[in-house]
Amino acid sequence: MSPPTAVHASSAIELLDDPVALRRHTRQVAGADGKPLSESSLRISGMHCAACAGVIESALTGVEGVTAAGVSAASERARVCWDPQRTRMSSIVRAVQQAGYGAVPDVAVHAREQRRQQERQALWRLFVAAFCAMQVMMLATPSYVSGPGELSPDMSRLLNWGGWVLSWPVLIFACGPFFEAAWRSITQRSIGMEVPVSLGILVTFVASSGATFDPGGPFGFEVYFDSLTMFVSFLLGARWLELRARHRAVQALEDTVLGMPESAARVDDTGREQRVPVEHLRVGDTVRVLMGESVPADGVLLDDAAELSEALLTGESTPLAKRAGDPLVAGSVNVGAPMHMRVERVGDDTRMASIVALMREALTQRPAAARLADRWAKPFLWAVLVLAAVAGMAWAVIEPSRAVWVVVSVLIVTCPCALSLAAPAAMLAAAGRLAREGVLLQRLDALEALARVTTVYLDKTGTVTDEHLQVADVHMHAGVEADRSAPLNLVMSARALASWSRHPLARAVAASGQLAAGTSTSMSEEGTWTSVHEEPGQGLEARSHDGGLWRLGSAAWVGGVGSQSADQARLWFGSAGHALLGWSFAEALRADARATVNAMHLQGLKAVLLSGDQAPRVEAIARQLGVDGWCAGLTPQGKLDEVATAQGRGCCVAMVGDGVNDAPVLARADVSFAMGQGAVMARSQADFVVLSGRLDAVVQAHQLARRCMRIVKQNTWWALGYNVAAVPLALAGMLPPWAAGLGMACSSLWVVANALRLSAGQSVPDVRLRLQLARGGA
Amino acid sequence: MEVLYLLIPMSAVLVLLILGIFGWAVHRGQFEDLEREGLRILEPEEEGVDGSQRAADQIGKKSP
Repeated sequence: MSPPTAVHASSAIELLDDPVALRRHTRQVAGADGKPLSESSLRISGMHCAACAGVIESALTGVEGVTAAGVSAASERARVCWDPQRTRMSSIVRAVQQAGYGAVPDVAVHAREQRRQQERQALWRLFVAAFCAMQVMMLATPSYVSGPGELSPDMSRLLNWGGWVLSWPVLIFACGPFFEAAWRSITQRSIGMEVPVSLGILVTFVASSGATFDPGGPFGFEVYFDSLTMFVSFLLGARWLELRARHRAVQALEDTVLGMPESAARVDDTGREQRVPVEHLRVGDTVRVLMGESVPADGVLLDDAAELSEALLTGESTPLAKRAGDPLVAGSVNVGAPMHMRVERVGDDTRMASIVALMREALTQRPAAARLADRWAKPFLWAVLVLAAVAGMAWAVIEPSRAVWVVVSVLIVTCPCALSLAAPAAMLAAAGRLAREGVLLQRLDALEALARVTTVYLDKTGTVTDEHLQVADVHMHAGVEADRSAPLNLVMSARALASWSRHPLARAVAASGQLAAGTSTSMSEEGTWTSVHEEPGQGLEARSHDGGLWRLGSAAWVGGVGSQSADQARLWFGSAGHALLGWSFAEALRADARATVNAMHLQGLKAVLLSGDQAPRVEAIARQLGVDGWCAGLTPQGKLDEVATAQGRGCCVAMVGDGVNDAPVLARADVSFAMGQGAVMARSQADFVVLSGRLDAVVQAHQLARRCMRIVKQNTWWALGYNVAAVPLALAGMLPPWAAGLGMACSSLWVVANALRLSAGQSVPDVRLRLQLARGGA
Repeated sequence: MEVLYLLIPMSAVLVLLILGIFGWAVHRGQFEDLEREGLRILEPEEEGVDGSQRAADQIGKKSP
């Protein structure tokens, strides 16, 4: 989407003062003297380091009417307390912008606050468990190190009592989530992992308490408060890490959604124009859409003609001509003259709403590997409970004093924590890693499929090519070529004139000058234009330094275009009626496209280019990229067939796409990537969303997925091996509960630590690949 | 060694106290922005240390 003009941007800031827009990120609080104050949350962008927070804080407190401001560098959020009678939201945002940073309302503030509470609670629980475990361990040490008879019975009881007291906070507070979940699954008549864990915790505690207060009683004289508390703290540690990884991923998703409120210019019956938030639009409203603005809602065109780019929706960059009464799709950009339209549909179809809905859905489903584990968990857990009961009964006959301990050992040692953590821990670590690199994972399962991919299909428009156009060729009018010095001067002055306009074609011409080194750095007198006037949909008109009238624009606007080159060039420049220069345009390849294709080959992937475009253009790009194959002139159905055929041959297919016409293909492919600029529809179909817009992220994701699946396999074997080896030992009464707890916690910890290797370290360990990418990026 | 009869209960009480303090600190958000606080000393002081009560108020409010 084209960036808003200065006028547009300032009016977007004014919209922040709209009560509806304000309510989403602001709440009312009472000030110190009882006056009503507003407290708003903003997301700050452009912070380089923690010290920036101070600069922004002083900029905020410098605004008249702001009573307090706090900036958190870690979360890039600002909280501002302000007096609605003395200042407005727009002045606050402007103050941040003047300090050199960006600020947008943080509408996800409620969800974030909830997550923060969760995180704090989890951290506190973890601390309680870990700190108590340390203390209990200290009190338990004497009984481990003392020889027989060295510890007096009194002292031993005192130490046990200390352990008992310090286990209470762990049991009551830190274990809360386990007991709650266990109780929930029991009342729902299902059985979860928490049931044996809670049972083990309770049995250990009751038996140890019995041993503490009645050392000669049925529970024996050994206490296991240390294994109990350590076991709980390791479990909570693993949960805390998982929670943080999950929150980080959600946060990354949220940040992409936030932005200035979208606005539209509504025209009322008297013809007066008023800028309102998009949410205020009603069916039947008349809206004026300026050039470069996007269509705010679905509707029909009221003017005779208009030119719209649906690049965001279809991925095709050529603007479409629309006639009066033609339907307009929300999100398409007006590239022609300002136009009027009537709104026909509003509501939850807005971009914001659909992404928010997506966000809720994302990461809440569990990966198939985890679902598989869940399915096996139920019979497994029943088997554990039966096994523990049988072992308890058997030992009650053989040696009654050890019966309780065997039961506890079996319950703890078989806890499938490590097994149930094996897949999700690794996948969440990979998802977090990807999120930091600008790739959002929408379906954890996709990692597994991505690791198996053999062929990558690339869409052309918007995927391997940029959205921006590039000047392909300059056509000289026959008369110009005669004069040697004229062409260069002409081109330079045309670029200077083009920089006045925001039309995509004019911008491409202006940008071509910046690329040509040295030639246009000094602004000569050709660059000075006066009385520049833009005729929407036609072109620019301006007076040069010697007073001549020049035009830049369509062939009809400039006039005098020779017929032989009229069909190639799309933008012309010349004095009125005498076109001298023409430009033709082509799509620009993404900077990293070639390096990415090379990297794919290094990883043994086949790359194939798919496009709905004509064969010569596709072939040219395919040759530039060095892909293994290309298909041109495909309809969406054609693309679908192509992918289906490849799948029929047994290939696992990844599709990298962008527009809505890719949506069915994206859904059909085993794994799909959507480039971040693409339409929302494509996003909702895709497994991965590449927000960074870097194509090499696809290669990195593939490599990470392979590592992830390797780690999942390692974890699963480790956890299975541990359980298989430890259960017979526990049944035979050779594994005391503390060893069972230690083994269990260690295996969980090993699994989590192994998974976290994914989020640390280098994402592209292959040196050749890194070199390749570095060379391509330079 | 009789002093242990006093010290062990005392340590238990101390632990509970420490847990309380930690919980208070967590819920005040003390662990949410660890980098910023270290750099705060480098920021220019806006008002004198002995300044009005209001300055003290604001410093308190800055770390919610």
